[in-house]
Amino acid sequence: MDDTERKKGIRRTALIVTAIALAFYVGFIMIGVLRS
Amino acid sequence: MSTVAADVLDHHDDHGPAKGIGRWLFATNHKDIGTMYLIFSLTMFFIGGAMAMVIRSELAIPGLQFVHPEFFNQMTTMHALIMVFGAVMPAFVGLANWMIPMMIGAPDMALPRMNNWSFWILPVAFGILLSTLFMPGGAPAGGWTMYPPLILQTGDAFPFLIFSVHLMGISSIMGSINVIVTIINMRAPDMTLLKMPMFVWTWLITAYLLIAVMPVLAGAVTMLLTDQFFGTSFFLAAGGGDPVMFQHIFWFFGHPEVYIMILPAFGVVSEIIPTFSRKKLFGHDSMVYAASCIAFLSFIVWAHHMFTVGMPLTGQLFFMFATMLIAVPTGVKIFNWVATMWRGSMTFETPMLFSLAFVFLFTIGGFSGLMLAAAPADIQYHDTYFVVAHFHYVLVPGSVFAIMAGAYYWLPKWTGHMYNENLGKLHFWLSTIFVNLTFFPMHFLGLAGMPRRIPDYSTQFTDFNTIASIGAIGFGLSQLIFVWVLVTAWKGARATDRVWEGSHGLEWTVPSPAPYHTFTTPPKARIANEAFE
Repeated sequence: MDDTERKKGIRRTALIVTAIALAFYVGFIMIGVLRS
Repeated sequence: MSTVAADVLDHHDDHGPAKGIGRWLFATNHKDIGTMYLIFSLTMFFIGGAMAMVIRSELAIPGLQFVHPEFFNQMTTMHALIMVFGAVMPAFVGLANWMIPMMIGAPDMALPRMNNWSFWILPVAFGILLSTLFMPGGAPAGGWTMYPPLILQTGDAFPFLIFSVHLMGISSIMGSINVIVTIINMRAPDMTLLKMPMFVWTWLITAYLLIAVMPVLAGAVTMLLTDQFFGTSFFLAAGGGDPVMFQHIFWFFGHPEVYIMILPAFGVVSEIIPTFSRKKLFGHDSMVYAASCIAFLSFIVWAHHMFTVGMPLTGQLFFMFATMLIAVPTGVKIFNWVATMWRGSMTFETPMLFSLAFVFLFTIGGFSGLMLAAAPADIQYHDTYFVVAHFHYVLVPGSVFAIMAGAYYWLPKWTGHMYNENLGKLHFWLSTIFVNLTFFPMHFLGLAGMPRRIPDYSTQFTDFNTIASIGAIGFGLSQLIFVWVLVTAWKGARATDRVWEGSHGLEWTVPSPAPYHTFTTPPKARIANEAFE
């Protein structure tokens, strides 16, 4: 894996896991909103 | 000196660490950040430990001796928050920072600047949390679980509690993003996923757990904040909200959190036992699957913390059986550690002693967990000292002993010197004796009906409480030996590159102490493969 590819991979993985974290945060607040 | 190490020194002896405080404030080197995490965690361990001393001193004999009940409740709450988020979790992040890049042959963590942020948010978070002790109304006293409506009665400390929990969460999330990105993208060329050392594997799984559940905690405390200050009623029954919903959301975070604190411990022990048994880890792949299985199950068992709030029988049955199912993959792990030791040429240096104690004592915590998983029995045990005994067995001779084991195991690699083995063994034996003296009697107290989170108790509970308090003070003092071992760590004999006769892995192919920069060029396939064998 060359450097450019690795950098792309790092960016892609970082974005995916950040999106997962944000989805859990917003998702659980939405559960609260929908139930209250 | 190995080929890899020579290669590293040839190319990278021209720039070392920055000078002065800037080295630490603007640190991007994984070893520096790892060191800061470990020192921070040890500091928090002693602050949280001092709070435990207050708790145990008050409980040594019946009656109110030293503190007001309100302050006692503040101590139990702060002790838990500090030990969970300030001591155990950062210690494992420190070990991850130091060891993961070296174990996978990477030059550093993938996102070094974010790594710096992850660490430096923590002292701010805990500075804010500790400052609440000096605020009108004192520190939070509603328990680390922060159940509403009780927690909403906190005084001026409330928004500071919420803010600090958010900061801890952000730090953990950033740390885990870094771990995942590093492991997925920066492994040595020949290191396939199933060739990764167990410590790296358990941390990868832990990082995914963190990504999924820390935002859930953040969401829960955000809703607490808006309930208190912005007129919402997420958890306020008077406004149509549901306080039990908080418990569901909290424990959806809280139960995986337990595994966040124990999976890296499994990883540490899985590195140490093969080394001192001079054998390969028995069933490496099955250990990976067992850890993944535990992580999955941790998401579907949360309501076993809430059997007494009232739930349908089918709900109780589901959560009871799902919880008991966790014993299967955990049993696989215990079996594999024992099988690794079986007919091995075992020696009993300090890291191995701590690891062996981990296997025995964590299993005791696991068994009491099984007892608590049984819904009808749990209704009796709930909120008693039996629960306190259970989770302290899992967290102290479990997580904390594994951290100690890891620290002793890798200390020569970090400092380049062997620590004082006699003092290490003294630390181990005193810790093991006192930890049992502290927490084993709590089982009997709980079974006899002593409730948790109370500053005073009926006289029939006196003897076991006195024993527990003596044990706690002994355990606390024993940890000073560890500090002395660390302070004098630079005085010992020079450590070799491999340090331990039976050690395997890329981290042992670099010199001791590990150079400031390692693996700036990926390790050659042959060397990497030899290290895996």
